[in-house]
Amino acid sequence: MKKAKSKKTQFNIRKFFRFADKGTSIDMPMFIITITLVVFGLIMLYSASYVVGIYRMNDSMHYIKDQVVFAIVGVIVMMIASKIDYRILLRYDKLVLGLSYFLLIIVLFMPEFKGVKRWIIIPSVGSFQPSEIAKFTVILVFAKLIQQQGSKKMKTIRYGVVPFAVILASIAFLMVLEPHLSGTVIILCIGAIMMFVGGTDIKWFAIAGGVLVVGVVGAVIMFPDLVPYAETRIVAWRHPELDLAGSGYQSYQSLLAIGSGGLFGLGLGNSRQKHLILPEPQNDFIFSVICEELGFIGGMIVIALFLALLFRGLYISSKAKDKFGSLLVLGIIGQITLQAFLNIAVATNTIPNTGISLPFFSEGGTSLLMLLGEMGIVLSISRYANLNKGE
Amino acid sequence: MNEKPVKPQNRVTKSMKIRSKVVAAVFMLFCFMIMWNMIDVQIIKYEEYKAKASSVQLRDTKISPKRGTIYDANMKVLAQSATVWTVFVSPAESKEEQHQRIAEKLEEILGVDRNKTLEKLKKTKSYYEIIQYKIDKPQADAIRNFCAEEEILGVNLMEDYKRYYPYGNFAATILGFCGTDNQGLAGIESFYNEELTGVHGRIISAKNGWGLDMGYEYEELNAAQDGYSLVTTIDETIQHFLERSLSSKVVDYNVQQRAVGIVMNVKTGAILAMSTKPDFDPNEPFTIHDPKIAEAIEAITDEKEKNDAISKARQSQWRNKAVSDLYEPGSVFKIVTASSALDSGVANTHSSFNCRGFVNVGGWRINCNQRSGHGVLSFEQALINSCNPSFIELGQRMGIPTFVDYFESFGLSEKTNIDLPGEQKSLAYTAQTMTETSLASNSFGQTFKITPIQMITAVATAVNGGQLVQPHIVSKLVDKEGNVVKNLTPEPKRQVISEEVSKQICDILYKNGNTEQGHAKHAYVSGYRVGGKSGTSQKLDTEMDDDYIASFVGVAPCDDPEIAILIFFDEPRTTTYYGGPLAGPVVGELMGEILPYLGVEPKYTESEKANVSIYVPSVVGKDLTDARVELQRAGFTVKVMGSGNSVMSQFPSNSNKVQKGSTIILYTEGEINNVMVTVPQLINQSPAQAESVLKGLGLNIETTGVSKNNASAVVTAQNIPAGDKVQIGTVVKLTISDTADFE
Repeated sequence: MKKAKSKKTQFNIRKFFRFADKGTSIDMPMFIITITLVVFGLIMLYSASYVVGIYRMNDSMHYIKDQVVFAIVGVIVMMIASKIDYRILLRYDKLVLGLSYFLLIIVLFMPEFKGVKRWIIIPSVGSFQPSEIAKFTVILVFAKLIQQQGSKKMKTIRYGVVPFAVILASIAFLMVLEPHLSGTVIILCIGAIMMFVGGTDIKWFAIAGGVLVVGVVGAVIMFPDLVPYAETRIVAWRHPELDLAGSGYQSYQSLLAIGSGGLFGLGLGNSRQKHLILPEPQNDFIFSVICEELGFIGGMIVIALFLALLFRGLYISSKAKDKFGSLLVLGIIGQITLQAFLNIAVATNTIPNTGISLPFFSEGGTSLLMLLGEMGIVLSISRYANLNKGE
Repeated sequence: MNEKPVKPQNRVTKSMKIRSKVVAAVFMLFCFMIMWNMIDVQIIKYEEYKAKASSVQLRDTKISPKRGTIYDANMKVLAQSATVWTVFVSPAESKEEQHQRIAEKLEEILGVDRNKTLEKLKKTKSYYEIIQYKIDKPQADAIRNFCAEEEILGVNLMEDYKRYYPYGNFAATILGFCGTDNQGLAGIESFYNEELTGVHGRIISAKNGWGLDMGYEYEELNAAQDGYSLVTTIDETIQHFLERSLSSKVVDYNVQQRAVGIVMNVKTGAILAMSTKPDFDPNEPFTIHDPKIAEAIEAITDEKEKNDAISKARQSQWRNKAVSDLYEPGSVFKIVTASSALDSGVANTHSSFNCRGFVNVGGWRINCNQRSGHGVLSFEQALINSCNPSFIELGQRMGIPTFVDYFESFGLSEKTNIDLPGEQKSLAYTAQTMTETSLASNSFGQTFKITPIQMITAVATAVNGGQLVQPHIVSKLVDKEGNVVKNLTPEPKRQVISEEVSKQICDILYKNGNTEQGHAKHAYVSGYRVGGKSGTSQKLDTEMDDDYIASFVGVAPCDDPEIAILIFFDEPRTTTYYGGPLAGPVVGELMGEILPYLGVEPKYTESEKANVSIYVPSVVGKDLTDARVELQRAGFTVKVMGSGNSVMSQFPSNSNKVQKGSTIILYTEGEINNVMVTVPQLINQSPAQAESVLKGLGLNIETTGVSKNNASAVVTAQNIPAGDKVQIGTVVKLTISDTADFE
C-alpha cells in the first residue's frame, strides 16, 4: 500500500495504465467491455453513416470524424475519472442538481431543432442535451440521498418517497416541456429503479402502479374515444406495413433491414437499407444496420455486450464499498443498458417507435463523451470495490 | 490505498443486492422479448423480409430490345429500328435556379413550350416528367452538350427505338406499322410482332430512399435479346412496279373503293408484291394519306363527327383489301370451274357446248354475256368467250358434291393462313347449303365471296401443276448476324388437280391472252406468253346498282408459269367497268416489266419477231455505205440526211433499244443534225394507220398493250402529245387497246 502511494505521487504513465495493482486496480472485465463497445460502435457507425454522409454532406467521413475525436477524448476522460475517488462526487450533488435545472430551463429558450428544444448549442464546440446531464444528476443525487437517509428512513413516505418524487417530477416536467418523452420515460425508470433498490417500501410502488391503473381506467371512462385510438395505435405498432405513410414507415424499414440480414447478414458495409431508405441509420436505427450487415449473429453480439455490461455492472454494484458507489454504478449501468434495450426494442418493433439512441453506437459526440465519463466513475467505484474478496 | 473505513450504515445491504437481482431479472425478461423478435424476423421470416426488402431496394428497369429489321427478298431494308431518345426531367434532382434556363434551351432544341417545361419542373418530388419522346441523335447530342457545358442537373435522356420505313409510302399494307411503344399494330409488324420484338432485358439496380441508383456495384444486368429480322418474299422492285401502276390507275379510273394488286410466285406461293392503293406512309400511319379525304375531314366542323371521320379514314387506309375484303370473283373463277371439270373427268378439251344466250336453272333465267348466244363452242372457246351457260353446264355435270369438293380443295372455303393479320373467312356454300341455282351461279363465279388472296392462290394452283400452295410473305427469320433462325418457307398444301389438267388450263389461258376473241388480250406482252382471265362482278350488296369490281388474273409464261398477277379495281368510275380493258392492261404492263426483271427469256412468235426491239448498232464515223449495210442487216431502215460520205451522227443513238424495222437517221457532213417534225394526233387511229403516219414523218413507233394485229385494236394513248416538235427519228410510244370488250 505504501509502495503504491509513493508511486502515485510521481505520475507514471506506464503505471497509470497498469491496472493489475492489487486492490487498487479497476475492474478489467468492465474496462474491456467498455472499450469493445466503443470500438465496435465506431466501426458500425462508420459503416452505417458513410452513405448518409455522402448524400447529405458529400463527405463519407462526416459523421465518423467527430465521433472518433470524442471517443479518444472520452477514453482519456474515462481513464482520468477512474483514477479519481468517486466519493468526491458526494460534495457536488447540489451543484450538479442546480446546474441541471439551470440547463433544463435554458434549453427551453434555445432555437427549435426538428420541432423540439432538446439541444444546447455551444458554437464551434458542439451541442449537448441537458436531459443527458439530468439523467446523471438523478443518479448522483438519488445515490447520495439514499445513502444519507439510511435504510429505515427510506421505508417512510417522508424520506423514502417525497424528496425523490419532487426531484423526479420537477425534472420530468421540464423535460416534457422540451418535449422529450423518451428521455423522460428513461429518467423516470432510472429514478424508480434506484428508489426500488435503495430501499423505498414496495408498497409505494404498488400504490403508484395502482394509481396508474386507476388513471388509465379513469381516462378510458372519461374519454371512451381513447379505446379505438389505442387500438389503432396498437395495430399500427404490430403491423407497421399498414401505416407506411406515417409512423409505421421507420419501423417497417427497420424490420426489412433486420429481416433481410438473416442469420449472417449481408456483410460489413453492405447494408442496402442505409441508402436513404432507413431513416437515421447513423442514429436511432443503427442497430437495424448492424443486423442487416452482420445478421442475427451480429445483433446478438451487441445484445450480449450490453448484457455483459449489465451483469458486470451489477456485480460491481453489489461489491461496491458503499451504498453511494453501489447505487451510482446501478444507476449508470442501468441507464445505459435500459437505453440500449429500449433502442433495440424499437428497432425490432418490440415496442412502439420512440426516439432513443443506442449508447456507444449512435452518432453523437457529447453523448459518447458523457457515457465514457460515467464509465470512468464506474471504473473508479470498481477500484474501491471488494472485487477479490468474495461475497 | 489509505482510506477511512466505510460507516456500517453505508454498507451495501443484502436487500439492495436482492432488489438489484430483481431489476436484472426484469431486464433479462425484456431482453428475451427482443431476442425472440429477432429470431422471428431474422430467422423464421427471413425469406419474407428479404423479398419485401428487395422490392423496396431494387429497381427493375426494362431495357428495350432492338426490333428486328424487315428485308425484301434481296435483303433491301424495308423497315428498320433506329436509336432515338426520350427526354425527361427529374425535378427532384434539378436546381431551381437552372429551371428557367432548362426550359429556354429545351424550347430552342425541341420546340417544346417553355411554360409547359417549367410546369413540369415544379413537381419537385418527381423524378420522371417526360418532355418529349423519340428525339433524334442531333437533338439528343444538343441536349447532352447543353447539360455538360452549363452543368445542368436533372435533364435526362433515355434510349429508345423508333421504327423507320426508308421507302415511305411503300408496301404499307404488307409492312403495317408500329405504335409509340414499338408494338406492331398492322401488317407483318403485327403478325410477327413477337419475333420482331425480342426479349426485354432488365437492369436490376439497387435504389436508395430517393429512388436513385446506388451505383454500379449494386447492378445486375440481363441484356436484352434483340428481335429477329424478317426476310420477306417481297421484291422491292416488283413492289414498286405494282404500286406505281395501281396508283396511277386509281386516279385514271376514278376508283372509289381502292385497288388491289398481288404478284405471286405460282410455284411457291411466295408473294412478290402486294398492294392496296391508296394506302398510307408507315412512318406516319395516323396521317390521312389521301389528300382528298384529308381535305374533306379538315372541312368537318363538328368535333365528334370529325374524330369519327378520322378514325374511319385511318381504319380504311390501313385495311389490306387483298386479305381482308371479300368479293365475288366473277369470271376469273371460271378457271377453277374449268380445272375442276377437266380433273373430275366430266369434260375434256374436246367437249363442246351449245350456247343459246341464256339458260333456265331452277326457274331462273340466267343470261350469257352475249345475249344472242355463242352457238356451238369447244371447251377452250367456252373459257375464251367466258360463256356463262357453258360453265353452268360444267357445274351441273359435276354436281353439287363434286363441285363443292373441288371448291374446298382449291382452298376457297378456308382461310389461306397467309402470314398477315385480318384475313377474312370466305362466304361459301357447303354441299348441304348449295342448291341447283346456287351451283349454277357459283359455276361462273357469283353468289359466293372470297378474298383476292384466295383467288390468286386458286389460280396459281390451277397453273402450277395442280398443287395448292401456301401464300406467304416471310420466308425466314434471321438473327442480327444474319444467321437463319427459322426457315418459314411453307410446303404446298395438297395436289388439287392433275399436272396434265393444269397444263391444259395454261394452254387455254395462253390462247385467251393471245387471240383476238380472248378477253385476256389486254394483258398481251410481246414475247412473254401471258395468259389470263378477266372478271367483272356487280356489287349486289351496295346501294348503287352500277358498282362493279373489275378484276384480272394474269399468268406467265404460259408454257411454264412463274408468276400470277391479280389486279382488282373496286368501283371504278370511268368509261367502262369491265375487268378486261381496265385491269388487263395493268397486268400486261406489269408482266412486261416483271418478267424481264426476273430474267425470264422472251420467246417471240413469228409475227412478234418483226417487232422486237433491239439495240441500234453504232455507225458513227463509218463510211455511209458500210453504215447502211450494217443497219439494214440488223433489221432497220435508214434515212440519210445530207450529202456527205461518212456518218457524223445517228439518231436514235446506239444506247437506245428500238423496234425492228424502225428508221435510223444518219447525218453526214454539212447537215444540221436535228431536223424537227411535229407529232401528229394518233389516238383512236388503228395501229396500222398510226404506224404509217409516223413512218411518213420519219418518226419511229413502239407499242404496248393489246397485240396491234387485232382487228378491233386502236391507239388509246401516245407518250408525246400531238403538236410537240421532236427530232426526226424519235420513238413515239403508243398504247394499244381493244374496243370490242365483253365478258
